[in-house]
Amino acid sequence: MNIKLTRRKFLHSASVAAASVPLARLARAENGLVKKPVTAPGSYAGTETRYGGVCEMCFWRCQLVGKVRNGRLIKLEGNPKSIENGKSICARGNAGIQLLYDPDRLKYPLKNVGERGAPKWKRISWEEALDETASRLKEIQKKYGPHAVALFPHGASAFYPLQYFEFTGTPNISEASFYQCRGVRDMAYMSTFGFAPGENVDMANAKAILLVGTHLGENVHVSHLKQYLKGLENGAKLIVLDPRFSAAASKAHIWVAIKPGTDTAFLQAVMKRLIDTGKYDKEFVAKSCLGFEELKESLAEATPEWAAKTCDVPKEQILQVADLLGANLPNVSIHPGRHTTWYGNDFQRLRAQACLTAILGAYGVPGGLIQPKGVKLGKASWGHGVFAEDCDLSTFWPFHPPGTPTEAIRETTLTGKPYPIKAWIAWGQNPIQTLPNQPETIAALKKVDFVMVTDIMPMDITMYADILLPGKSYLERYDYVKTGMQWNPADKPQQFVTARMPLVEPMFERRDSVWIVNELAKRMGYGDKIPVASIEEHVEIRLEPAGLSIAKLKEMEGIFIKEGTSPYAEAGQRAFEFSTDSEKVELYSEQIDDNEFSPVPTYIPTGEVPAGYARLVYGRSPVHSFSRTQNNTWLHHEMPENPVWLNDSVAAKQGLKDGDRVMLINQDGVKSRNSTILKVTPGIRADTVYLAHGYGAMNPELTVGKGQGIDDQGLITKFGIDPETGATGMRTNFVKVVKA
Amino acid sequence: MAQYGMIIDLEKCIGCHACAVACKAEWDVPTNEGRNWVKRLGPSQTPEGLASTYYPGLCNHCDSPTCVEACPADPVQMEFTDRLSGKTTIMEVAATWKDLFDGTVQIDKERCLGCGACAEACPYGARYVNPDLGEDGKADKCSFCVERTAIGLEPACVQTCLAGARIFGDLHDPHSKVAEYVKKGAIKLESDAVKIGPNVRYYGKKRDLSLLTSTCTPQSMPQASLRRIFLARMLKPLAKEAKRNPLLHLLG
Repeated sequence: MNIKLTRRKFLHSASVAAASVPLARLARAENGLVKKPVTAPGSYAGTETRYGGVCEMCFWRCQLVGKVRNGRLIKLEGNPKSIENGKSICARGNAGIQLLYDPDRLKYPLKNVGERGAPKWKRISWEEALDETASRLKEIQKKYGPHAVALFPHGASAFYPLQYFEFTGTPNISEASFYQCRGVRDMAYMSTFGFAPGENVDMANAKAILLVGTHLGENVHVSHLKQYLKGLENGAKLIVLDPRFSAAASKAHIWVAIKPGTDTAFLQAVMKRLIDTGKYDKEFVAKSCLGFEELKESLAEATPEWAAKTCDVPKEQILQVADLLGANLPNVSIHPGRHTTWYGNDFQRLRAQACLTAILGAYGVPGGLIQPKGVKLGKASWGHGVFAEDCDLSTFWPFHPPGTPTEAIRETTLTGKPYPIKAWIAWGQNPIQTLPNQPETIAALKKVDFVMVTDIMPMDITMYADILLPGKSYLERYDYVKTGMQWNPADKPQQFVTARMPLVEPMFERRDSVWIVNELAKRMGYGDKIPVASIEEHVEIRLEPAGLSIAKLKEMEGIFIKEGTSPYAEAGQRAFEFSTDSEKVELYSEQIDDNEFSPVPTYIPTGEVPAGYARLVYGRSPVHSFSRTQNNTWLHHEMPENPVWLNDSVAAKQGLKDGDRVMLINQDGVKSRNSTILKVTPGIRADTVYLAHGYGAMNPELTVGKGQGIDDQGLITKFGIDPETGATGMRTNFVKVVKA
Repeated sequence: MAQYGMIIDLEKCIGCHACAVACKAEWDVPTNEGRNWVKRLGPSQTPEGLASTYYPGLCNHCDSPTCVEACPADPVQMEFTDRLSGKTTIMEVAATWKDLFDGTVQIDKERCLGCGACAEACPYGARYVNPDLGEDGKADKCSFCVERTAIGLEPACVQTCLAGARIFGDLHDPHSKVAEYVKKGAIKLESDAVKIGPNVRYYGKKRDLSLLTSTCTPQSMPQASLRRIFLARMLKPLAKEAKRNPLLHLLG
């Protein structure tokens, strides 16, 4: 025994801290069997750098490099060549290796020999999985028609399957990214400006920025936040409408603690003030807009007094916001938002945002709404689907985004009217946590004849699969080709093309979606129609018009960069042609009028909060992409639960304290499955309760994420349906906070 | 002499936690530990108004590091080299020390006993014992990524920060960005009881700094650490004696 060990033992006995050293480790040290390194080597030394990664921890798709040691990916970094995210990636991007090597990941094709919702898994071969899936789907197609198959896709890996199932003749495809997220925004701006806005608003060069509920900072997309922070650094005035003192509100010059559901009234009052004071872009309106008089007329009642009362905010604040925007026109960013399906009246609110953008002339100018141009890419896809007559359920919603409203598919599945839907396929989407009213989703999943799910991880949806297929993660496959421009529109104009390329070899029997779909297609009688033999071929065809190939991109460290064009119009240009019917920005829309909706933005009130309840408002956590990342051990460590935010005066009245364990009960008596921690704060309205979305997974195969925090979707039993678009509004529920 | 330091610009920080996760990957930090961390603060009322901000914390590489004093390992002679001038100096150090030339606090993992005395001694909670290193664990903490900066790379947390909210540099160089921040009023997390010269400083709006300092400044030195420092001081002469007289080893 040397003096070192003696001294260590002495210290152990001398201090409470000794108790924290596990005995197992002491025992190992004593017998000295394993010689372990004493220091972590760091990712920078003795590693190989692999290029060509494109992140998919969220759907912003930052460009990556991987640091590989002995065949194992040990770190992900931003690709220094990227003109978008550069060397930076977010917490989720950094945690990608914990998804890659997650021991809970799906490894083999599985067959459920138990029940849907309480599965017993049997490992089967790919051959058996594909044969069974193909024969079940074929049988359903034959008996009920191709539209009896419904698909819930998400992400780049689901793009090819989406095209395939559409090609086979089903319109019943519903993307959460449209119907539970941004579809309503895109359609409202399409109806106004003639293009989907994305989040292409030039915050980096704005003099004022208006965020309507958008909580940048909690909602993290790297290049987008670089733009936002650049704008703030340059002195842009930030206005945030949010019932909660969000991450963005904490950086705002004006925080408008607006009553949830009243944003449209606020926007109307702002537009009226701008018009009344003559602080709008008269030239842009005259040369590029249609229906200004109708808009103006529609705002007659939208006085500051009315809006102040409706929105429960001081009248002065409304005037202050309007005057600040007016003083800085046209260099203002009216952020279009991202998750915008709130109340089922959202098309009108987003139309109001688009119209406000237009009267401020905030298009094609520094700070305004812009249309970035990327490089033209090739197409390789299944042909267009031919649908049987009258099988399209979406026609009821004339402004619906691509696909079919989720609720139409679910209701048709449950009622069998107007026709039976007998198979559900989820591909990278988790409808249990994307769709409101879980009991109905589960009932539909139990009712159909066949459920197939492809995913990377076990999710709540995978519990309901008959056949469960393991996908390759974004770090093990080719698929997505991305093009775009430099992050700061004011910088030297550049364009880039990058393709997702694998950084490591896949393990177990994980397969990419082109392979899976092609194998299914062969078995379903579409073998002769297969457009590409492999995912690599798909990528090659996409790259070809840009004069690129996978090999060439590899030589370019994953990214091709060329000279671009400025997204700004020439200085002084105020006349533009838009892709609307009238070729103008349609403040008043005849097309909307023809469909018997309000042709000018209109405020439609949502239900009032019942006494004793608060409105349940949900949002993003900066370390998670909804439910997808909940089992990521590093991300879980950063934010293991989603605290429930409760106003301090309300909490005091109820005898609740910060840090209490609490549960939520909604207006229908539905109680949250789990408890979580309470955050008592003056930074939220008394009529509002907030928590981050995506927590509280049910699947016991998620050994890290299961039962952690509260699943907001479990409490969203009531929902609105946007009459123009069919999107589901989900901030329509009321909850009580109770001690767990 | 340089004194490396870091500024956290809370006006820029958006609380995304990328710094904490990048560090985990870079240094293979166990999931439940952290060489650095981010805590969300507020929204709370402050004398300057409603505030909400973040506490991105890490080792402060203090002027008078109590962790260094607490280390009971045998002191050895160690040669230090100034990265800039190439000048060398020999100093007697235990298994953790403050570098003469760059001001960083470092650990010799070969000689670290894994006893955790240093972790106990840090009022900021910046050290932990990594059970995965060596036979029975080694103390670990932020090294300011000197291993990376030595070959021209940025610290891992600085590299990944999309906000440019983490600024690393020499506080003693009046022309450095970090020194500029100090001139602009970047603050230390110090209290009357804890004044050991932290070299991580925070810059931001008054209300945010008010919230940060009122909730995250350590208000007392760890009790255990005082005892350990006392013990370590008692043991050090014995250790020196042991080195002079090899026979004493046998008595251990």
